[in-house]
Amino acid sequence: MNNSIGDEIREMVSKILEVPVEKLTPDVDFFRDLNVDSLKAIEIVAAFEKKYRIIVPEDDIPKIRNLGQLIEYTKNVTS
Amino acid sequence: MGWNQEKIMSVLPHRKPFLFLDEVIEIEGTQKIVAVKNIAEEEDYFRGHFPGNPIMPGVLITEAMAQASIILYSVAKPVIAGSHPNYYLGKIRSEFFSPVYPGDKLIMEATKVKFSDFAGITDVITKVNDVIVAKANIVFSVRNNE
Repeated sequence: MNNSIGDEIREMVSKILEVPVEKLTPDVDFFRDLNVDSLKAIEIVAAFEKKYRIIVPEDDIPKIRNLGQLIEYTKNVTS
Repeated sequence: MGWNQEKIMSVLPHRKPFLFLDEVIEIEGTQKIVAVKNIAEEEDYFRGHFPGNPIMPGVLITEAMAQASIILYSVAKPVIAGSHPNYYLGKIRSEFFSPVYPGDKLIMEATKVKFSDFAGITDVITKVNDVIVAKANIVFSVRNNE
């Protein structure tokens, strides 16, 4: 996964969560540290699906807890 | 096969005067439903919105679109809907293009964007006489009624 896609995802999540990009380090926990709730989680997933034209199975949503995991997930589903 | 208001009320907790769906006329799998609301001249809100110039409030058109979204969610998630959870609006992006008057027939086309066990996102287009009068992207949460 190159940095540009990682940066794209970071920016996308930053906009949805209204959190500065600088605070979105790869391991900051969406739910514990950023108070992401079910609404924000589904917004991230929907935006992610739209951008990369993929479907994220519902069972995968709780497994993605931080930016690093989201980028890694992208790597797996788009490779 | 469509739904009458009795079946709609088996899913929606809303009742008159805050039930804004009369029937569901189309269901396309778990992806889309089309619902109808006939705007009667005697709707109570027309007394104040506005005296002598009745126009359906945009917030109530939005409410109708949200109710159509819940029906679609219930079609896609029947087990969860069957437990009669609470549905909470989270975020709405809406646009309104034309006024809605007494006698109009609102046709709401709700399409699934993404559903989970805890939330949903829909796109809804509302038409009167084949003309789009409103659009909305609706994000809502679904929580157990405990």
